[in-house]
Formats: sequence, C-alpha cells, structure tokens
Amino acid sequence: MTSTIRNRVLSAAELERFGNEIDAVRARTVATLGQGDADYIRAVAASVRWIGLAGRLLLMVGAIAGALVPALLWPVCIAGTLLLALSKILENMELGHNVMHGQFDWTGDPQLNGQAYEWDIAGTSDNWRKTHNHHHHTWTNVRGMDDDIGYGLLRLFPEQRWKPFHLFQPVIAVVFAVLFEWGIAIQDLRLGRWFAGKLRFAQLREQFRPVGRKMGRQVLRDYVLWPLLAGPFFLPVLLGNVVANVLRNLWTYIVIFCGHFTADAETFPRESVRNESRGQWYLRQLRGSSNLTGGRLMNLMTGNLSHQIEHHFFPDIPANRYAAMAVEVREICARHGQHYNTGSMPVQFGQVVWRILRHAFPSKPRAASLALQASA
Amino acid sequence: MTARPRSARRLARGLVRRVADVMAPPQALAFWADRLVPGMDAGRARVLERRRASADAVTLVLQPGRGWGGCRPGRHVSIGAEIEGRRVRRSYSPTAIRADGRIEITVKRVAGGKLSAFLCDDVAVGAWLDIGPAFGEMTLPAQRDAPLLFLAAGSGITPLMSMTRALAERGMPVRLTLLVWARRRDELCFVDELRGFARDMPGFDVRFMLTGDTATEDDEGIGRIDAALLAKHVPDIETRRVLACGPNDFVDVARRLAASQALAFDSEAFTPPRIADDIDTSGSVQVTLAASQRVLTLPRSSSLLEALEAAGLAPAHGCRMGICNTCACGKRSGSTRHLHTGALEHEPVTALRLCVTRAASDLVLDL
Ligand code: FES
Repeated sequence: MTSTIRNRVLSAAELERFGNEIDAVRARTVATLGQGDADYIRAVAASVRWIGLAGRLLLMVGAIAGALVPALLWPVCIAGTLLLALSKILENMELGHNVMHGQFDWTGDPQLNGQAYEWDIAGTSDNWRKTHNHHHHTWTNVRGMDDDIGYGLLRLFPEQRWKPFHLFQPVIAVVFAVLFEWGIAIQDLRLGRWFAGKLRFAQLREQFRPVGRKMGRQVLRDYVLWPLLAGPFFLPVLLGNVVANVLRNLWTYIVIFCGHFTADAETFPRESVRNESRGQWYLRQLRGSSNLTGGRLMNLMTGNLSHQIEHHFFPDIPANRYAAMAVEVREICARHGQHYNTGSMPVQFGQVVWRILRHAFPSKPRAASLALQASA
Repeated sequence: MTARPRSARRLARGLVRRVADVMAPPQALAFWADRLVPGMDAGRARVLERRRASADAVTLVLQPGRGWGGCRPGRHVSIGAEIEGRRVRRSYSPTAIRADGRIEITVKRVAGGKLSAFLCDDVAVGAWLDIGPAFGEMTLPAQRDAPLLFLAAGSGITPLMSMTRALAERGMPVRLTLLVWARRRDELCFVDELRGFARDMPGFDVRFMLTGDTATEDDEGIGRIDAALLAKHVPDIETRRVLACGPNDFVDVARRLAASQALAFDSEAFTPPRIADDIDTSGSVQVTLAASQRVLTLPRSSSLLEALEAAGLAPAHGCRMGICNTCACGKRSGSTRHLHTGALEHEPVTALRLCVTRAASDLVLDL
C-alpha cells in the first residue's frame, strides 16, 4: 500500500496564488466570527461538565446500588464509564485542544484563553503547547523537527532509520495507544536524549517536576479521590475511571495517527523548510495531513481533527468553522492539481496499521521524493 | 473560646477547597461555581435597575459579586460586556456608591461606541456584566478647611457627581459650587437631583452651562469656560480647592485659568480612545510593559516581537509566524495592526500575538 498519488508540481507563481487563495478563505472566515462561535464552544464546555458529572454519578450509584442489587452493577457502571469517557474525549478534543490553540482568544473570555487553559490529561498544558502548538504545527512532518512523527518511538516512514528495536513496534504501538496520555506527558522530556547521555539527570529532574505534579494530580483525582467517595464500594468506580481514561486514550490515538500517518501522507527533509514561502508552508501542511470523512458527530468527537488539513492550515481559527472552510479548500486544491487526502476512519486507520507493521521491518524510501516546488 | 471552632471551620473549609481543586480541573470548578452561586464572582456585577438619565444616557444600578473591593467617589471601574462574542471593556466612574455595596453608572451613548450603545439600548435588568477593581487618583480632599469648586464637562460629571452625592449625604459639610458644561439642555444628567440639593442645602450651588442652547432658567448660563465666566460665577476662587474633570482640552483650559489662582487644583482628563489609523510605519511609539514596569520606545516598522527582542528582552515565542500562540500576551490599551491582514485593532485584548503584530499607537502590554 504505497502512494500512487501524483501531485502537480507548482511553479513559483502558482504556489503564490495557491497561498493567497488559502489566505483569502481564512480572512473571509475571520471576518464572520461572532456570538455563534462563542455560544458553540460554551455549549461544548457545558456538555463536557454535565456529561462528566452524569458519568461519575452513575458510576457511584452503580457501585453502591450494585452491592445491594447485583443485577444493577454492570449496566449502570458501564453506562457511567461510557459517559465519563465521552466527557473526557470531548474535553480533550473539541474543548481543550482547540482552546489551547488560541482559537477562542478573540472572545476575551478568560475561561477560553489559550495560554491559561489546563486540560484533563496527565501531561501539562504548557508542555503540550510547546510540543504540539509550536513544534508539531510549525514543522509538520519535517523529519528531525516534528517529534510527532512516531513520537520518537515508532518507525512509520521508510525515511526513518531502521533499528532492530523497531521489530517490536507492533506491540509497542498497542501499549503506547493504551498509555497514550502518559506518553504525551513525557514527550517533552526527551528521555531518549537522557539515555544517550546528552541530558544530565539534574536537568531531567528539573523538567520533570511540573509534569510529575500534574501526573500526581490526575492519579489522585481519578484513581483515589473519586473512588474513595464510594467508600467501601470503591472498586467499580476505580475500574470505571481506568477504563474511561483508556478509552479516551485509544480514541485520541486513532484520531491523531489518522491525521498524519496514512498511506499518502508525506514527510519532508529539513532542507525543505529553508526559506519556505507561505505557499510552500501550506502545501507542506496539505501533503502531511489527512482528513476523515463523516458527519457532524465525527467532527465533534474528533475535535474537528476530521478536518486535519484545515486544522493545519488554520490552527487558530475556531474548529467549528472547518467543515465550511473545507468545501473551499478542497476546491482550491483540486484546481491546483493537489491531492486532498481524505477517507473513512476504518480505511485511514487501516493504512496507519499497515505502516506500523510494514516499517517495523527494514524498508527503503521510494527513489524520487516529491518536490514541493518546481526548481526555478 | 470561640477561636477554636472558627479555626477548625477554616481548616475544614481549606481542606474542602483543596480536595475540590484536585477533584475537578480549574475550568470545571469555575463552571460549577458559576452555576451554584452566580453572585460569588468578584469579577462580575448584576444589573439591578436601569433608568433614563438624559436624552442619550442611561443609569444602571449594579450589584458587584461578593469580594469585589469597593470603590470611593471619584474613582473609576472597568465595565465589560460580551458583544457579538467578544468581551468589550470601558472605564466608567460610578455616579453613586451606596452603603450596601451597590454602585450606579451613567452611560452616555458615544458615536460608534459598541459598549455604550449596548448598555444604553440592549442590556436587560438581571444581566451580568464584567467589573474590574476600582482605580484612579482623583478623590475628595481629606481636608475640609476650604470650600470646593467642581468643574465638569460632558462625561466629566460622573466622578464629580458621586463626590457631590457623598457630600450631600453628609449634609454638605463644606461649601461646594458645581459648574457643569453640556452642549444642549437635554444632554445634562442629574438636573433635578442637583437642583434639589441646591434648594435644600445652603452650602451647595450649581450652574448648568450650555454651549449650544440658550439659557432660560436662573441657574443656567451660556458659553465655554473662560476667565470672565469663572470670575462671574466663582468670585472667591482663591479660597477654593478645585476639582476638574472632562475632555483633555477642557481640563487644560481649566488648569490654565484656575491652577494659579485657587488654593489647590486637581484634575482628571479622560482621553477618548485614540483611534490610530496609521498608514505609514515610520517613527516609534511608547510601549509600556505593565507587569515588569518598564517603558520602551519601539519602532512601528517591525513586529512587536522583533522590536522587543531588539530592545534586549526575550518574550516567549515559538513559530514567529502567528500559528503557535506562544507569544500571546494581553494588551490593555492602544492600537495595533496585524502584519498579514493589515487589520487594525483598538480594543484591549487578552491575547495579542507579538510576532504578527506591530504597534500603531502607544501601547500598554501585560508583559
Ligand atoms: S511565536 Fe508563534 S504565534 Fe507568535
């Protein structure tokens, strides 16, 4: 399953026009941001809170009532767990991720401020703002600059150097998916550099301090305090919390891996970003990202990362606008002879799984790497 | 004896807060707090009452949330509302500060003013507004030794009105003359109330000065502020402490006329928001960094990030192209221009991206 896509190589003038047209889509959308967008994100925030509360209450009720009427235990606790997972997914994707990109900074609402938001996962928002908002979004799919390519753990592209360790990656990938939030939490610590002796332990410990504090807080919340509220019936609550967090991890992992590691997604060498023009930047974002088809529910559940391409073009525009922008973006790409990578979640994730399996073994890049621009 | 239960209670309350803080993320806590006890937030105030104050002004009675720091007559507060999804804030000087903690603000409709139009026309009784802590230096003189003279023009009446009311409540412990300027009669606020004070309190005198209407009542006059006018209405100015408030030009003239003659002179000029519409990018502006208390002179030609770096600072940044939001910081005042879109922004904002913004006027940043 290797790409058969042929993108037209654009001349400098075409590339500039491409960039300008994408910029125009952005400007048109910015001009219409208003009350509807603020109301939307507040409705999402309210849903997160109410669904989360319902989930936690059901878990509690299921645990306590289940001790008296055993028939109640499973159905109620499962319902509670699913609701809690749903709340956590919404909080991560459509609320936290988007708010932290600064998508709602224009509202001036301190609750929606991108720099101040602290989300409900093991990692600190500060680290994520750095690894994701900055490194990943600036250097999308640039090898050696975007750590999100395999997270320093997996080999997903033939251009990455193979090591015997990668033979285990089918297993590692599954473990990583289950523990995804913990992986993200330590991403910025770059343990690899420490193992390689490039980082002193004292430095590592210093960097770990805020992360450890956040981790402790999360463990205390989901695995100690909420279960303790059920007193002697804490076990089902604890289990429900564990499962909800794992479900959320699996879901976010699938969505995120579908965003950049499908069959047609490309990575780029460092040289490609030297003196990159705005048009080239957009083109790199386009070729490194892939969308998911699906309706409004899919958009909501993925935090609109079902529009990964639009998200990479406009990371700071409210995500609820991506679906409308996508219509124009797609048309612009078609006119410029550029492949617009989209597919259903099963198909896209199938391609991701294939990459994980295939590149566990030595593989060679295709001879000709696609150029972003015609050499003048 | 009572110390023990109280400290135990405080301990328990502290523990509950600690546990709640871990059990729910900060945003969630804020969300539930707002639903359970909406009046708790010190940053918000509820509109209890609204009434017309003049042809183009309205008075709102506000109940700030618990914990709001209060306000003294003459000071200002920042009032904000959400308009088309955006928080818009402006400063107002409360015209009345009541013992029960409520305050009144009188809002005059400003041409093109979003917030003033919203407060004059749209805000409903029961709505919540944002409110900031009180600020400002001009308050009632501590010494009661000398009679007072208040000079107010336009919206400059608001801080002077709350001081007048505060003195009236205490039965006017010192002699006070108030001169108020307006273009037309129907633009004057508080006329009946001030006339009432003048009738009931021997120490109080008020004159309504009109610049675009003819005077018909005894307590009305005409003309802009000048030496002859002051000499006519306040022959004993050298015995008085003078407080003046109004637009910059008015305050300047008042200072020139009264500062040297009077016993003391204090003033406050409200600067109408300076709407910069710069086309050229030459020259420099003054950028005040509020958090680190520094004032810098920066060129208008480059991005704020580059300008700050050139001045030896190291603001947080990442992509330098406006996508990662790392360089976002608050802007309290001033106008800026977006480097890519060319859009001008005059409002205070919570998150301005230094890397894609240049200064269009003097700025105050939260850095
Ligand atoms: S440095 Fe990335 S937005 Fe300014």
